[in-house]
Amino acid sequence: MLKCSFCGRRAVYNRRYAGTLLCDRCMVKSVERRFRRAMGEHRLVSPGERVALAVSGGKDSVTCMHLLADYCYRKNCELVTVTVDEGIEGYREKSLPIARENAELLGVEHFVVSFKQAFGVTLDKIVKLAKRKKTEFNPCTYCGVMRRSLLNQAARELGASKLATAHNLDDEVQAIMLNYVRADFSRLYRLGSKYPPREGFVPRIKPLREIPEKEVALYALLKGIKVHLGVCPYAGGIHTEIRDFLNQLETNHSNSKFMILRMFDRMKPRLAEAVPEFEMRECKVCGEPTSASICKSCELLQGLGLKQGQKTLISASF
Amino acid sequence: MTKLGEITVEVKVIGQRAARKIKVPQKTRIADLLDQLDQNRETVVVRLNGKVVAEEERLADGDSVEILTVVTGG
Repeated sequence: MLKCSFCGRRAVYNRRYAGTLLCDRCMVKSVERRFRRAMGEHRLVSPGERVALAVSGGKDSVTCMHLLADYCYRKNCELVTVTVDEGIEGYREKSLPIARENAELLGVEHFVVSFKQAFGVTLDKIVKLAKRKKTEFNPCTYCGVMRRSLLNQAARELGASKLATAHNLDDEVQAIMLNYVRADFSRLYRLGSKYPPREGFVPRIKPLREIPEKEVALYALLKGIKVHLGVCPYAGGIHTEIRDFLNQLETNHSNSKFMILRMFDRMKPRLAEAVPEFEMRECKVCGEPTSASICKSCELLQGLGLKQGQKTLISASF
Repeated sequence: MTKLGEITVEVKVIGQRAARKIKVPQKTRIADLLDQLDQNRETVVVRLNGKVVAEEERLADGDSVEILTVVTGG
């Protein structure tokens, strides 16, 4: 039996990058400590703020909901949660009730916004249209752009001063690598524990950014938190290739993910020089903030011959 | 039939297939079993006889191993 490096109980996890073994209790405490440290060190939330958290029902967002609910209670902040229903049959209808159930359990308000309502079309329909048009198409591009826009609108409507997302260490390092591969300076520059404030955008925070995905999952499992572990039917492509590559790298060379993150954080102040300054304006079609004449969501929808649907949005589910 | 120096463990990958019995050399670590099954340790949590354990634990004859895939993002 392997013993915890701190208390001698049976270990449940070998934190190879730190050279320590952790039992269930020490593992839970360690994740909570890291979460609080990230919140405090980067001053992600101040007392009196209203924080909107994007919750899918998956392990990361539900775990983040539990941690943030406790933190906000202690720090006198208000937490509200938002689920985006993209319209993916057989997937979102399974995770949405889990998001709602956890919100009810914690006494946190939960709202649902949908692609159908905001853009007039579901992701399933977009995929069908793109196939018919035979365009070069990655559903994650459409989903990511539209989801970000919708979450920003929802957070603004809810009067939130911060928009929290549950991106973990693995997500952040994958995004760094993806932007390297695509040589996308401006997207790379926007990564970090919090985004630089821009007009029309609710500042975003990522409290789980320095917690590996496996540790988030273990935390949820050890705490008995109900989560959805399904896989999006559209997952794949370069995102998955980069994820698999990074996991193999971490297996063979532990601490690689943290090193990539640390290197990026050190380089980030210098990236500002390489990113051209731009003025924010209103999208001609939907009025959302954008650096171009029309926003990316409208550009993508127009590319498929779709018009932007009527905006908003909020429907409370709890 | 199990050969000398071999043990038999029951392995179940949650959500994929029914449990199956696998023969491995004595003192095999869970991490080695995961390699054999082409499962990356960064993406799974393992329960040994119902309890979550570190992948460096060694297997014994008759052990039950559950592999839960936890990295699901895309």
